[in-house]
Amino acid sequence: MKIGKLGMGLIGLALVAMTGCQSAAKPQGDSWSAIEDRGKLVVGIDDTFAPMGFRDENNELAGYDIEMAKAVSEKLGIAFEFQTIDWSMKESELNAGNIDLIWNGYSITDTRKQQVAFSEPYLENRQLIITLADSEVNAKADLAGKTIAVQKESSALEAVSADAAFTSALKNGAPEEFDTNIDCFMDLEAGRSQAIVVDEVLARYVMKQRGQEKYKVLDENFGTEQYAVGMRKQDTTLLEKINEAMKACNEDGTTAALNAKWFGE
Amino acid sequence: MIRQILPSLLAGAGVTLQVFFITLILSLPLACLLQALQQFSGRALKPLFRGYITLMRGTPLLLQLMFIFFGMPYLGLTLSRELSIFIAFTLNYTAYFIEILRGALSAVDPGQAEAGKMLGFSRRYIYFRIQLPQALRTAMPSIGNEVLNLVKDTSLIYVLGASELLKAGRSAVNTYATALPFVVVGILYLAMCGGFSWLLGRIEKRISYY
Repeated sequence: MKIGKLGMGLIGLALVAMTGCQSAAKPQGDSWSAIEDRGKLVVGIDDTFAPMGFRDENNELAGYDIEMAKAVSEKLGIAFEFQTIDWSMKESELNAGNIDLIWNGYSITDTRKQQVAFSEPYLENRQLIITLADSEVNAKADLAGKTIAVQKESSALEAVSADAAFTSALKNGAPEEFDTNIDCFMDLEAGRSQAIVVDEVLARYVMKQRGQEKYKVLDENFGTEQYAVGMRKQDTTLLEKINEAMKACNEDGTTAALNAKWFGE
Repeated sequence: MIRQILPSLLAGAGVTLQVFFITLILSLPLACLLQALQQFSGRALKPLFRGYITLMRGTPLLLQLMFIFFGMPYLGLTLSRELSIFIAFTLNYTAYFIEILRGALSAVDPGQAEAGKMLGFSRRYIYFRIQLPQALRTAMPSIGNEVLNLVKDTSLIYVLGASELLKAGRSAVNTYATALPFVVVGILYLAMCGGFSWLLGRIEKRISYY
């Protein structure tokens, strides 16, 4: 009998735990009215991506994208909540409704266009090929039989993989993939890879921190791409609102001020 | 440099410790209860227990975390980040603790349970008052192993975007473009594990009273 009670207690506990959680909040259709009711937008960011999003010495979020998002939030008159996410999970987080926007140096690519809706681009970015200063590699062709490193799930990887002739000539027929771009830099310095392909925005920042003279940027690159804000395809109202707010930021000089502050342009 | 990175690393260590304590506080008692249930339920629930333990020990904790957070919404249950983390860790660690307890309980002389029965003690009394305390003592070294594993397994919650110690370290490495934060992260983990193994040693000594 007593065991019966124990079992019942456990089942009861489980039930309480279940009902305590909200049931299926997977968004379907345009979620703008739901967002307005909530009074906030959840922005998915990766705080390991300096200078776009990172933690400053007070453990506060800082960076170009953070400030840009705050400016847009003001223009929209709706609060933004920043949610840190694992970058390789960003589309899952978006589609599960855990976040409403992907905003962290998110480049427009063809693959991503099939999954998410992009705002108007707000920043240009190139995929640079970087080697150590004393490297004999001076062009893409020199990398045949060598190892290169790129960030996994990144647009750099997509750009490199698109060049089938280049990747098949690499040492293992594919680039080495790392969690973060800084891992790529460390691999380069350790001499395990002879070149890395990274976002220019991040690369300039890292090279400034670690010493420009240590590196060489090749003249060739893996194309230009554009950063934009990503959201669910069905959120057409949100897309309009974000575009309007970003346009307003461009017109009143907010964007120019941010560019000057973070990139000295 | 250290002064710049320390606040975010300490905040990360706080998250790590929070997951650690909540998991431990939930899973160890839960394992004691479930083990009792398994022992008393006879054949009926046994396949259920075996299935649960096989599932938890046979799949990576990282996958379980991802399944609960990203997969469950497709089955109609959306859980918050924190809740997903606590559920995944508790379910996983409970399974390991149950197995540890099962082994330790079998080392308790069956004559004791028989004697208890003859004295008219209830099955619950025999389990919780006679068998379990002795089993826990035998199990202490194995439990200690799991406890230290738990400290380090918390690093998996990065996949749900939680800023635990290792993630905070990676973030600092990216921001300051140096590997120094990794060294600090290592020292912090070592300090935590060192503290816990000292504590576990004290507890072990304390309960070995005969």
